[in-house]
Amino acid sequence: MNEPTTTLQSPAREVPVFSISRVWTLAISTLTQLVRMKTFYFLFAFAVLLLAVGNFNFASSPAQALSTVKKVSFGAMDLFAWLFAIVATALLIPRDIEDRTLYTILSKPVRRIEYLLGKLCGVLIVIGISLSVMFVVCAGMIQWKELGYIADEIGDTTPEQLTEDTRQAILLIQKNGFHPELAIAALASFMKAAVVASVTILLSTFASSSLFTIIVSVLVFLVGHAHTMATNFWLAETDNSIVTQTLLKLFKIIIPNFQIFSFSEGIVQGAAVAPSAIWQMGGLTGAYLVVFMLLSLLTFVDKEF
Amino acid sequence: MSEPAVEVKNLTKIFSPDLSKNHIVAVDNLSFEVAAGEVYGLIGPNGSGKSTTMKVVLGLMAASKGSAKVFGYDSGDIRARNETGFLPENPYFYKHLSGEETLKFYGKLCGLKGSELKDRIAELLKLVDLEGAAKRRLGGYSKGMLQRIGLAQTLIQNPRLVILDEPTAGVDPVGSRQIRDLILKLKEDGFTVFLCSHLLEQVQEVCDRVGIIFKGRMRREGTLDELIQIESQTAMTLENASPELMGKIHDLISSDAAAKMIEEGHPRTTLERLFIQIADQNKKEESA
Ligand SMILES: Nc1ncnc2c1ncn2[C@@H]1O[C@H](COP(=O)(O)OP(=O)(O)O)[C@@H](O)[C@H]1O
Ligand SMILES: [Mg+2]
Repeated sequence: MNEPTTTLQSPAREVPVFSISRVWTLAISTLTQLVRMKTFYFLFAFAVLLLAVGNFNFASSPAQALSTVKKVSFGAMDLFAWLFAIVATALLIPRDIEDRTLYTILSKPVRRIEYLLGKLCGVLIVIGISLSVMFVVCAGMIQWKELGYIADEIGDTTPEQLTEDTRQAILLIQKNGFHPELAIAALASFMKAAVVASVTILLSTFASSSLFTIIVSVLVFLVGHAHTMATNFWLAETDNSIVTQTLLKLFKIIIPNFQIFSFSEGIVQGAAVAPSAIWQMGGLTGAYLVVFMLLSLLTFVDKEF
Repeated sequence: MSEPAVEVKNLTKIFSPDLSKNHIVAVDNLSFEVAAGEVYGLIGPNGSGKSTTMKVVLGLMAASKGSAKVFGYDSGDIRARNETGFLPENPYFYKHLSGEETLKFYGKLCGLKGSELKDRIAELLKLVDLEGAAKRRLGGYSKGMLQRIGLAQTLIQNPRLVILDEPTAGVDPVGSRQIRDLILKLKEDGFTVFLCSHLLEQVQEVCDRVGIIFKGRMRREGTLDELIQIESQTAMTLENASPELMGKIHDLISSDAAAKMIEEGHPRTTLERLFIQIADQNKKEESA
């Protein structure tokens, strides 16, 4: 084993203060980890669900059938995205600490924020890929169903012979069929997952168990849908004391407002999207990510292993 | 090369696990230096604060008092870590990665890429004799192989300093011999090695200088020769000594006014004897 001729020593290379490529390395490693944990297998489950809903739903009309397919598949995508964001994030970081992989990572010239960002990006890449695949599969399915229903309506009549009733029926089918705006619903699911993942990262920087992190993250996520309700509830109280005001403000600050993503349900039901809702969603998502990652860093930077 | 590789000054580390009650003083006013190019061994029983000291040096933990420096950089400085390779106690790497992928991952974290990284990986796999297992996942590695891939990982960015926490713990004799040879090879190539162990024999075989630590405090420090030589004592190792011969020797000794039999038994490594002596001393101090 000893070969006196080769010398291993050479001068040290420069270390950049912050390095995107280190974040990327960590993100890809997280992606590899999740892939080798066979997480992508759930995509088959999604495909089965889609086929089942597409072929065996007992809706009274084609339009309703299409609407059901959309609701179920986009609902499943959304559920997958936020649940996966919480569970994967809550399991990965404590696992690195337990397995002492974190020792070896943080003893390399890696900054702690780079590690946190790497984990977040890795989880988000998996979610992004999954949502894209699910979206494409689902869009294909809806369009195929839609074209089939329209063909059934038309039968062997030529376009000139179509009755007004048939025209209306086709319009209704198209209204409930595929729209490019559906991509925005998928984007909303992705952004929601990103925010909830950053909340989970913050929790896992100080929580002692993954189970605790998962439960609290789910709670934060659910409570985060009650911003309007909370505002109304507290405003309706006769006692508008400093305490209630402070509590209300605290709630509004600490718990992210997941209602900013709610408009996507409307998209799935065929409603039009206001561009302002999209901008608001994008802006707030970015702001939440920055805030939660900075808070995570605050607790993580002094953490001892 | 006058600057020390590691400089620990009055380092104290106190853990307070349940907030304010029950302080654990893991490291107590510890000072030592590791000169560039030497192999320094910190030895002490389990729980004496060796790992804690190393973690403070690496910046994985903050010192409660005192300081630790690596080549003049404060521990925790990213430049200090750039110069340091660390092999933790019982290291676990990502089990889903192969040996080669593991080295690639750590290499990329250190800013290596392309053919430079590839060459480095090949070189290190050869050095630790894992070329045959390069494509296998770590989940199927033996303890000795894990320790060797871990050692390769510490060297990936060509650090000047290598910190090894119990590098041979739990490895079979053949495996630990391999690791010992590797450490000697590192020394030959001009690396500074700072290792800790409770396995004295191996420390004795590779270290230039040794520090003996008990309950977080440095008890003895010096070169091996200095430490294990006891001028006033003479050791005698006999083979096939009959009880009659031993009786005669005992009689001779008791007839001499100045000489005293201190120890009799089967020979041990000298460092081990020193170690036990300090442990006894420690016990006496405690009961006093
Ligand atoms: N994170 C920690 N929290 C509380 N106590 C700790 C922690 N790490 C180590 N200790 C305590 O510090 C002492 C020294 O531990 P350690 O440095 O691991 O010893 P060694 O490596 O010499 O076996 C032990 O009593 C151990 O219980
Ligand atoms: Mg230890």
